[in-house]
Amino acid sequence: MSFPKTILKVEEVNFSYNDYQKTLSNINFSVSRGELLGIIGPNGSGKTTLLKIISGILKPGKGNIFLLGKNLNIFSIKKISKYVSVVPQDTWIAFSFKAKEVVFMGRIPYISRIKGETIEDYRISREAMVKTQSLPLSEKNIQKISGGERQRVFIAKALTQTPQLLLLDEFTSHLDLNYKYEMLNLLKKALKEEGLTIISVFHDLNLASIASHRLILLNEGKIEKIGTPQEVLNEENLQKAYRVKPILINHPDLKVPQVIM
Amino acid sequence: MGLNCYMKFSINKSPKVIAGYTNWRKKLILMLLGGSLGILGVSLVCLNFGVVSIHPKEIFSLILNISLDKTNSLIIWQLRIPRITMAILTGAALSTVGGAFQGILRNPLADPYILGVSAGAALGACIGIALQYTTGYYLASYLPLFAFTGAMFSLYLVYMSSKISYTLASTGLLLAGVAINFLFSALITVLLALSKRELHSMIFWLMGDLSTANWNKITIITIPVIVGCLFLFSSSLDLNALSLGEEEALHLGVNTGKLRMRIFIIGSIIIASIVSFTGLIGFVGLVVPHIARLLVGPDHRVMLPTSALFGAIFLILCDTFARIIIAPTEIPIGAVTAIVGAPLFIYLLQRRNV
Repeated sequence: MSFPKTILKVEEVNFSYNDYQKTLSNINFSVSRGELLGIIGPNGSGKTTLLKIISGILKPGKGNIFLLGKNLNIFSIKKISKYVSVVPQDTWIAFSFKAKEVVFMGRIPYISRIKGETIEDYRISREAMVKTQSLPLSEKNIQKISGGERQRVFIAKALTQTPQLLLLDEFTSHLDLNYKYEMLNLLKKALKEEGLTIISVFHDLNLASIASHRLILLNEGKIEKIGTPQEVLNEENLQKAYRVKPILINHPDLKVPQVIM
Repeated sequence: MGLNCYMKFSINKSPKVIAGYTNWRKKLILMLLGGSLGILGVSLVCLNFGVVSIHPKEIFSLILNISLDKTNSLIIWQLRIPRITMAILTGAALSTVGGAFQGILRNPLADPYILGVSAGAALGACIGIALQYTTGYYLASYLPLFAFTGAMFSLYLVYMSSKISYTLASTGLLLAGVAINFLFSALITVLLALSKRELHSMIFWLMGDLSTANWNKITIITIPVIVGCLFLFSSSLDLNALSLGEEEALHLGVNTGKLRMRIFIIGSIIIASIVSFTGLIGFVGLVVPHIARLLVGPDHRVMLPTSALFGAIFLILCDTFARIIIAPTEIPIGAVTAIVGAPLFIYLLQRRNV
């Protein structure tokens, strides 16, 4: 099955949790296959809400979202889960599942309730654990591993879903420096080799600048600027959104802007 | 792809080697076999206990319909076997629903009574008992109907209040259940305070009682229990997904709202049909799923059927204990399950593996 080049198109999306205040207004952008789009912005600017709308958990008040050329409204949540997977910021798991069982749950959208799982399902989940270096954790209780380890397990689970579009909500928040870059390299490899597309929320502007092909800067529910890291991360935009005066330098190797406060 | 899988399978001998996964089906079959044998063994042993002493050989010939002793046949076929069968169905149902409710509420401290259905049944039964004494009509045989009506009424109230507040999210359902429980318990207390002669019947009903088991009652509850439990087993994979969190389950394609509503309604109907005949037997539905989880892990596909089997064994043992410990007087089975269950539960909590 071939998919269109534009994976996701967001058109005039508006959303509010209550009648008094709009959380998101007039959001327009599209994402192409193999692209990593970073979303940045101050706290409360609507980053996580936008991810929830894209993943189908929240319905936009106005506007449309097109996934693989079709309106998201016509997809059931089961269908969405075959194309879109999500790595949440924080997780709380009710029972003491083993890490490998959690990773395997990524196959739930595909498992027939009558025939059960196949060996292919097991192979995919194991491969995801190898890629994310979470295989040594497989027998461990998910409730008793560190935040960073859990994050790797959840990235493995998201990859086990074999999505077209991967949504990450501040996925590096609990990761050590070495795993942060390992995961970044892994995801970049997946973008190139497997045609994955990623939309990720970042708090770390420098990581966002290094990792993303394009950035969206959200401010008070609106897109302040969208473009390459060089176009978005400038003094004027950042001052408007974060209300502090940043110092910007260029990364010596990667030639992308880095922010010093 | 199929051939490719087969080749990998044959090279590595077993799927366990390929994926590093234990085969949950094997675990399930092992538990089903072990549990069924356990139920059979415990039932055969417990058949020997009772006020009238009957030799095991005689019991064996009575089961095989070889013996012609009519009194003993009546005791075994009309008293002890129905009672054990009722204990099996009740234990299995309470434990399965307990495990499923813990799953939908994502709360290991939930039990089948937490969502208010038992309080409704209890109130219905107490109203029936009070009416019997005040009006003079003989209503004892209609008590299950009173209890079932009460249970359905509370199910409706909990459903409506949780729908208004949180569109059936876990917290909304739990809070609505707790509120209805408190309200109905208060009404039961008022009835108890006003009652005189009927007090003993009410208390005995509230503590659970399997002594009135007969084949008619068993026939009535078998279908809701078996069909309902099979339905709950079939939702196991979705319950696993829900263990990761509300949003995570949605991301895995599970419609959590519908799942929660289905399990709440089916579970409540199972519980309503059981407690209408047996009264409130506590602790089984709370403790047994924990024991099952300790033994086979939290995967609901194995844990729920294991809970059902263990619940059956646990209740046969508790009921036998209840009827022989100070025979010929019986103590309410709900008291025995709590006396055995509470220390066990504290022990499990200390192990922190629940």
